[in-house]
Amino acid sequence: MKNTARPILLLGLALPLLAACAGGRLVGNQEYGTDNPRELALRQTGAATSAGIVVFGVDRSRQAQDAAQGGGGMTVNAFLWRASLDTLSFMPLASADPFGGVIITDWYSPPQAEGERFKATAYVIGRQLRSDGVRVQVFRQIQRGNQWVDAPASTATNSEMEDRVLARARELRSQSAGTSR
Amino acid sequence: MRKILLGTTAVVSAVVGGAMMAPQASAQEAPTVRIGGFFRAYYGYTNQTGQQSITSSGLPLGAGGSTVQFPTLPAGQNSIARSGKHDISTDAGINVLVNGKLANGLTYGAVISLNSGGLEGRGFSGSRSTAGKTTVAVDEMYAFIAHPRFGQVRMGDEDGVMGGLMNSGWVQGFGTGGVHGSWESFVSRQGGGRTTTQPGGLGDASKIIYMTPQFAGFDFGASFAPNYNGGSGTGCPNEAQSGACDRVYAFSGARGLGIPPAGGDFAARRNEYQLAARWRGNVAGVGLAATVGYIGAGAARDLTNSGAQQRVLNNLNIWQAGLQASFAGFTLGAAYTYGDYNFFWGNTVRGDRPGEQLVVGGQYVAGPITVGANFTTGLFEGGNRDTFTDVGTGFTRTRPAAVAGTSTNAASQRRWGMGIGANYRLAPGMDLIAEYVHYSVREEGRDLDANRPGIQSRSFSNVFLTGVRLAF
Repeated sequence: MKNTARPILLLGLALPLLAACAGGRLVGNQEYGTDNPRELALRQTGAATSAGIVVFGVDRSRQAQDAAQGGGGMTVNAFLWRASLDTLSFMPLASADPFGGVIITDWYSPPQAEGERFKATAYVIGRQLRSDGVRVQVFRQIQRGNQWVDAPASTATNSEMEDRVLARARELRSQSAGTSR
Repeated sequence: MRKILLGTTAVVSAVVGGAMMAPQASAQEAPTVRIGGFFRAYYGYTNQTGQQSITSSGLPLGAGGSTVQFPTLPAGQNSIARSGKHDISTDAGINVLVNGKLANGLTYGAVISLNSGGLEGRGFSGSRSTAGKTTVAVDEMYAFIAHPRFGQVRMGDEDGVMGGLMNSGWVQGFGTGGVHGSWESFVSRQGGGRTTTQPGGLGDASKIIYMTPQFAGFDFGASFAPNYNGGSGTGCPNEAQSGACDRVYAFSGARGLGIPPAGGDFAARRNEYQLAARWRGNVAGVGLAATVGYIGAGAARDLTNSGAQQRVLNNLNIWQAGLQASFAGFTLGAAYTYGDYNFFWGNTVRGDRPGEQLVVGGQYVAGPITVGANFTTGLFEGGNRDTFTDVGTGFTRTRPAAVAGTSTNAASQRRWGMGIGANYRLAPGMDLIAEYVHYSVREEGRDLDANRPGIQSRSFSNVFLTGVRLAF
């Protein structure tokens, strides 16, 4: 048994190094097993593992949650706001301010297109549900060696994104009309 | 929506290439300190062998002639007892969680977990020195540093990569964990009725852990612990080197410490390393995870009276492979473990057989309801086959012949158990739970309950429990 173990041990040591060199996706803490009773119960009941009381620092997850829910005193149209969040939800969210109506995503590299990445900013303007009530700006960067450099995004991208937001907002509005009937 | 977007806009311009992970451009986050925890209370109905001590257990007699305020018995009187079937068991824990992120994408933090279930039995040594069972003790404490490019390093008292972090095939996300769950809180241990060889049972010895990023579905991990101990301090109970010290590599009586003594948090295990390779992916809508891993460790040497050093325990030399699949709320999994180890993940004594274990489980989640069942069966050494005699220059090993009518260690120990459980999610973090577990230990010819007359070579436990659990 010992003789078979050694070569596999060496392989076991080599593979992590290989993986580290090749790069990859950061494995989140929630993707590792645990025998912590609190963590197990949270995972099992579908509660956010970021539950708990923040005693020091700013609770960003709660901020983002509150923003996504629209908060109490929204100053922008709720359908457009919700639709913008839905539309941009495939990218990681960097900040969302429901009062100013600004959504800023983090850089996102689609799996199909490694070597380029995108960031989007959406502005929801005013309380009315109007076709000019949302503006989306997409930024694109491509990779040269180890550097990301700015590259122009297609001009159609911004308006297509806006169309998507408006279509989603219309959908949300018709759903909400349906439920209140 | 996402697919449509990617397809219809210029977001996808079909650049294909194995680009290196670039430095992350992400917002820096000041560290947050979070306090969370859990509480659980279960009613349990327990039907087990050994509910009575028929011959004297020797407890409680008042240690060292002290006047323990417990029915102190006159010398020579038997100490016998009978147990009922009903009990309520509670437990709680507090976790302190620190998380932060730097502008270069590096995340860091620490976890400190305090649990009130630190003591299994009541400790008393005098009328004013009784320790309650709810004594709070640190369970796990570690710091981590992670980066998308380099992976994660954890350092502290934490499970290793095959000790729970990266295993696959262990289905225990229902009830309290089925056969690996809280039923153990209700059972007394004449026959060692507990599921000791689950991943988390390998121990939180102070260690360093490295886990890679995920690459083409694969991630890898390695961990190393110099010995079995956790926490600060040397572990030495007095001003002398002894087997209780963290750093000792040889000590008298090491042969008796292959399996850690209950609650002692120390054992002969030394230089424990674990390696794991895990793959996760999706095939035709079925989520799959598979892990292959190895656990190796040396053991402290034993010493004769004249100081001769000898290896009496086998190294840990364990392989484990596990696979699980999830589809439409169903999860099925199985894991097989084989190698030189004993129950409690102990080092076997030289001459002992290797251990092997199979676990199989399944669960189904439908809205707020989760139901599941799991099963474990294993063959281990149980009582050590050989005895060692100090002959000055070393130990001689002899195998005692089995004598009819007396306890013998000649056979292997068969441990098997099954659990079936259900949860109803009352609120996020809060569950109502019901569960039934049967567990059996058999070792032909060996007496597993010293306080009953005759050879009790079979021990079983049946526990039905129901109650509430809250995590926050």
